[in-house]
Amino acid sequence: MSRAKPGQVRAGLLALSVHILFFIFLAFGVSWQRKPPQIMEVAVWQSLPARPASTPAAEPEPPPLKKNPPKAAEPAPAPRPDIALKAKQEAEQRQREEQTKQQAQRKKAEEEKRKQEEKQRIAAQQAREAAARKDLEDAARRQQEARQATQSRIENDYKARIQAKIHRFTIIPPDLTGNPQAEYQVTLLPGGDVLSAKLVKSSGSPAYDAAVERAIYKAQPLPLPPDPALFPRFRELVLQFRPQS
Amino acid sequence: MEVTQDLSIVSMIVNASVLVQLVMALLLAVSFMSWWGIFFKLFSIRATRLHAEAFEKDFWSGSDLTQLYERAPGSQDPAGSLARIFESGFREYLKLRRQPSLDVSIVMDGTRRAMRATFQREMDRLESHLSFLASVGSVSPYVGLFGTVWGIMNAFRGLANVGQATLAHVAPGIAEALVATAMGLFAAIPAVVAYNRYAYDINRLAIRFESFMEEFSNILQRQVRPS
Repeated sequence: MSRAKPGQVRAGLLALSVHILFFIFLAFGVSWQRKPPQIMEVAVWQSLPARPASTPAAEPEPPPLKKNPPKAAEPAPAPRPDIALKAKQEAEQRQREEQTKQQAQRKKAEEEKRKQEEKQRIAAQQAREAAARKDLEDAARRQQEARQATQSRIENDYKARIQAKIHRFTIIPPDLTGNPQAEYQVTLLPGGDVLSAKLVKSSGSPAYDAAVERAIYKAQPLPLPPDPALFPRFRELVLQFRPQS
Repeated sequence: MEVTQDLSIVSMIVNASVLVQLVMALLLAVSFMSWWGIFFKLFSIRATRLHAEAFEKDFWSGSDLTQLYERAPGSQDPAGSLARIFESGFREYLKLRRQPSLDVSIVMDGTRRAMRATFQREMDRLESHLSFLASVGSVSPYVGLFGTVWGIMNAFRGLANVGQATLAHVAPGIAEALVATAMGLFAAIPAVVAYNRYAYDINRLAIRFESFMEEFSNILQRQVRPS
């Protein structure tokens, strides 16, 4: 019995699509591992330091010299047989002379102006470059300061954490009175293990001193910043402890 | 100690041992076939039901039986089961009635036998892929479990070579192995659900066909007498 079954192809396609969907769901929908968030240190700047390479951009060009002298040398109008002719001619002559003089003067003035502008321009550029350099130095210094600030912040933070952790492990002797302070010098190993803990200043109560020392060893590994470059600051710590902080 | 291991599904499948991979491939093929069967049965059972409904409507609307037989609606269609049952019964009835010497009960017996034969054939056609679904539903979890057990065995054997055993050494191997069980269950659950559903549907269709056969026999018997 070989009857045509129109549903076969359709069923095959549907089955295929079910599997593809399931696979896509598995491959992209399920991630069984959480990635710890990457710690990133970012310095936020209000404004970027000016880049010195791009200073002479868009320098306004000095205005082009006016090369067309006013049309003063126009041919004199045809002399008319007049009495005033001569006077007029004279006047014209004078006018012409004046004009040429004026022209020369103007030229000179322009020349001077141009020179001055050039000078100004150079001065401005130098000033700008100097400012840019200063900006850059400023930026570097500020960055340095910021880094130091974050570093010391981290340092303080972790010192506080170390103290808190030790404090948590301290069993305060019941007969302790007041709030005496014990000072310990703690030498750490990379990884947070305690190499040694030395009593620098006793609290006056040997029971409390001993309790703190026990707590220091019990609290290892002590929390250290993840950045190994900061470890030298933690190698030798002088920590103060009080029963009630 | 490597802690950061890629635990995505793809890498787990790729890194699994050969036997586990074989089990996974087998399960994938079985799952594909069972889904194909699920969809194919879904279409064919639905088409059969719709055809039966249409044919019954036609049949009970009072049209002449010989006309209905000549038209034979849907008897060429693979889904026209009820039409084919009617056709075979009526054909047998017409043949037997042409012989005048035969008794009514003999005519009716022959007609019923012909209809029953066609009914059996149609039921066989409807149930054709169901047994496959049933066996997928019952066996594929075990196949997946086998792959898992094998994978876990390997994971623990690898653990024996490590001096200090941590969870990080075993966990990836076990996760890899469990993928096989997951695939087995993925193949099995739809197959079981579909099997139960289709068995119920086919049962209802069979009851419907049988009651139609009885009613049709009654109608034929009433027709035999006057001639």
